[in-house]
Amino acid sequence: VSSVSAVIPVKDGDRYLEELLDALAREGVEEVLVIDSGSQDRSLQIARAWHVELLQIDPGEFSHGRTRNLGAERTSGELICFLTQDATPCPGWLAAYREAFTLAENVGVAYGPHLARPDTSPMIARELSEFFASFSPDGAPGVQRAGDPTFLSNVNACYARACWEEIRFRDMPYSEDQAFGEDVLAAGWSKVYSPGAAVLHAHDYPPVEFMRRYFDEYRGLREAKGHVEPFALAQSAGHVRRAVGADRRWMADQGMSGAEAARWTALSTVHHAGRKVFSALGSRADSLPAPVRKGLSLERRDDAGAGTSAAASSNGTPKGAPAALPPTTPVQRKLSREVYEVAADVWANGPAPLLEPAPGAADRERLRLAMVIPPFNRGSGGHNTLLQIFTRLERRGHICSIWLADYYGYRNAVWPAVLRREIRDYFAPFEGPVYKGFDRWQGADVVIATGWDTVHATLRLDQCHARAYVVNDHEPEFFASSAEHSLSAETYSYGMHCIAASPWLRDLLIDRYAASAEAFQLGVDHDVYRPRAVERRRDTVIYYARYVTPRRGVPIGLMALAELKRRRPDVRIVLFGTDTIPDASFDYEHLGVLSPEQLSVLYSEATVGLCLSLTNFSLMPKEMLACGLPCVELAGISAESIFGADGGPLELAPLDSNRLAGSMQRLLESEDEWQRRSRDGVEFVASHTWDQATDEVEAGLRRALREREEQAALATQRGPR
Amino acid sequence: MENLQTTQTPTEQSLEAENAQLRRRVDDLETELVEVQARANAVVAEWQERAYWLDRWHLDLNALMRKPGASEFRAGLRAVRSVARFFKRLRRSLSRA
Repeated sequence: VSSVSAVIPVKDGDRYLEELLDALAREGVEEVLVIDSGSQDRSLQIARAWHVELLQIDPGEFSHGRTRNLGAERTSGELICFLTQDATPCPGWLAAYREAFTLAENVGVAYGPHLARPDTSPMIARELSEFFASFSPDGAPGVQRAGDPTFLSNVNACYARACWEEIRFRDMPYSEDQAFGEDVLAAGWSKVYSPGAAVLHAHDYPPVEFMRRYFDEYRGLREAKGHVEPFALAQSAGHVRRAVGADRRWMADQGMSGAEAARWTALSTVHHAGRKVFSALGSRADSLPAPVRKGLSLERRDDAGAGTSAAASSNGTPKGAPAALPPTTPVQRKLSREVYEVAADVWANGPAPLLEPAPGAADRERLRLAMVIPPFNRGSGGHNTLLQIFTRLERRGHICSIWLADYYGYRNAVWPAVLRREIRDYFAPFEGPVYKGFDRWQGADVVIATGWDTVHATLRLDQCHARAYVVNDHEPEFFASSAEHSLSAETYSYGMHCIAASPWLRDLLIDRYAASAEAFQLGVDHDVYRPRAVERRRDTVIYYARYVTPRRGVPIGLMALAELKRRRPDVRIVLFGTDTIPDASFDYEHLGVLSPEQLSVLYSEATVGLCLSLTNFSLMPKEMLACGLPCVELAGISAESIFGADGGPLELAPLDSNRLAGSMQRLLESEDEWQRRSRDGVEFVASHTWDQATDEVEAGLRRALREREEQAALATQRGPR
Repeated sequence: MENLQTTQTPTEQSLEAENAQLRRRVDDLETELVEVQARANAVVAEWQERAYWLDRWHLDLNALMRKPGASEFRAGLRAVRSVARFFKRLRRSLSRA
């Protein structure tokens, strides 16, 4: 039989102290230590009358964790019971604790329920009863291990000395028991909830005192466990309504009279609403001004921070020693995984193995194609390209499915059928299924990655004959030095066959990354983008001023337009492509984001288009040309790979705002030049269709399958190593 | 080709025949897989088309019907419906009579 000590921190606790010491004597506790921190009532007299050990400490020295450590150090029992001054053990309390430590080999701590005293309010009585019943639905003692609830309360708990010595209470002003509950399970000990080790105990305070106590408790919880109590008006109102309803049911079960129940209902509403507000404030105490913190705290604490700050001050920093670290802010886990964890998965395990190539698979009429796409919004140009092509592949008889890789959880709230409808509404009438994530992955002849943030997910997909990568742009250029820059550059190094959206991009992938790559030409929807029956103006320059897309070089475009306006004050300038209205040093008109039909009319009406891309050539200049609108683009980047060294129908200008302005001015002022560019542009892009683009991408997908066959044949020839 | 065939041993010929047979079998299986996948895709796509409003409103009927009281609510609806049908039938038979 283990020896038992009880430690009771006391301050002005004479109301129940005598009853408590009587109960401890009845239960047979061998050693009782009362630690008094400045009682002004009869507490000291009672302790002396009961001949228990009495330790008096300065009120300023008190801290829940530190003082209990002191109590444990000053006692000798193998089991140490901690009780508060208002907790009275019920008969059988100690026997239940002794039994608890026999339930498993490594029980470090046990705790028991708090029963309501007869005069306890219905709100507290109900909550206590329901709360503790949740730990033991069948009423039997329960062993809790790592992963189980960490709840622990020093109102009524019993510790194995060996366990306390190993872990000890953190030196914190509040919630030291909650912290111990976490620490003890994390250290491999188990704890036991013992329904038989009950105490009579209830915190019934006047409403304001109760709320201030909650402020302190939730402040302590924030400091100990990082818990931040959520608060939103509608949810909180719902919470209060449900709690009051539960109280009313409990009152009815207790047979409370109507008048009394009505009085308690009103108090219950105040109680739950006040608690909700004060607990939320308590867990955000560090954001409140110090005087407010102090005013709301029952313990009049105005320090800003976590338990660690209390520890630092208690330890004391000698003069001349390095400055103490600031208090840490505990932060709760919010994500189920890290954003780019799939990349770590590829680094750890490599790409999933591909299936053995089936001879002749590349030439089969119908292929099973799975396209992995990143999250999208209406108007996404890259997704439009992908869907224009993929729906045409589907119409050619290929078995197509779409899979959303959403690393950031942008579309968490959108379910698959809605995603599918959005794809159909925003881009193209795709007929196949759309999946979120890969839980239902079923394999494919070719799985197609379509952006840097789909590649790692694609690499982990199994049951595929080949992988291909439709590359719309050189995405590392979208980012400054960053994780995204490095991760996107890395995507070209996994040996996937790349199908690039221009010869320039294809050559870049081959030269810089030694990738296997070919090109396709972006198509134009000629049903939409054609010269419309509107009068062509002779004074209008339109500019795709999408400031939020840095690769569009908008500051350079605006400088060019400012220069043009200086030279030709009569010119009308229209900016479009963004809802944000950019500030400029010249007057202009703004059109915002337009639909394809509206764009076609704008292109048919304007005199000159300005559209800059600092990376891969985009579709927009082609669409302008298709409407007979001459367009100015940057020279020396990617346009030459499509239009030839002289730009063909495009007016190319170097990255110089004066030269760009000169190009626009020439088109505005030279009718012959304008006519030639307009005519050549329509002719040039006539053959650039989505059907042609689909032909090229389909050839690329078949090439990916052939490459696999060739690689496998090569491996067979080499034989095993 | 003829020369090659004439120089093949019976074992080689039988292996080649077996290879050809296996290739045909793989082709058949691949064709079957494509058909199965096409049908499965069509079923899922059709269901997604029909489930649009359920997904839009985040309604998972299976989860909803697992909630306490859902079965009782449904049983109640069925009872109300059967009573309504009874009276409908009664009214019809009375009007015929």
